Amino acid sequence: MSVVKDDVELVLPFKAEYVSIARLASAGVANRVGFDIEVIEDIKVAVSEVCNKLISTGSQVASSYKITFRIGKGELDIIFDCPDKSLKCIFDEKNDELSLSIINALMDKVEFCSEKDFLLAMSKSIEEND
Amino acid sequence: MASELIFREKQNSDLIDVAISGEVDIYTSQQLKDKLYSLIDQNDSDIRLDFKDLTYIDSTGLGILVGALKKAREKDRNIKISNLRGNIHKLFLITGLDKLFLIE
Repeated sequence: MSVVKDDVELVLPFKAEYVSIARLASAGVANRVGFDIEVIEDIKVAVSEVCNKLISTGSQVASSYKITFRIGKGELDIIFDCPDKSLKCIFDEKNDELSLSIINALMDKVEFCSEKDFLLAMSKSIEEND
Repeated sequence: MASELIFREKQNSDLIDVAISGEVDIYTSQQLKDKLYSLIDQNDSDIRLDFKDLTYIDSTGLGILVGALKKAREKDRNIKISNLRGNIHKLFLITGLDKLFLIE
């Protein structure tokens, strides 16, 4: 039996001043899932890191990108997408070392180069001992 | 949701204390860079950053701190960091920057 998850979607312009809104939304959704305050802060940072990279890379064809927060029972999937698919696989191990180490440490799973239609996805689950 | 960082400076005999309030992210990070580089250029003292009221920082801000530390060390000076909140200290540990900066 498949589990129904709720999607909360946020569409943001490719502008630095709106990344803080992504953090607010992340915190609100993560709180809804039931994560503790430390994990909520982790999720905010991880989401911001992806937003930062998308904005600093920029797009010639799209004016906005979308973040989908997929809320499940005790778990959260965060999916980044944009009509401009050239923004796939934009993280570079050499130039984004700080950012990559942060995202990989704070999130449970990250798909940096998805074979699916979206750009990037990451997820976090409430651990059994939380 | 403030978009301005607030800096409070205090010149001591051999150290400049700078307390930073707010969030350092992609939008506000240039303010941090401008402040740190200006302090390094215009003073001969070490700098101690008080992060008690710093509520957010990510790799954008961390990269600026690393750049500022490099600039300071070229002039035989140091940047110390104090009063890191737990979540921000965690980022220093993850990135290994706890080994680069003197954290009080």
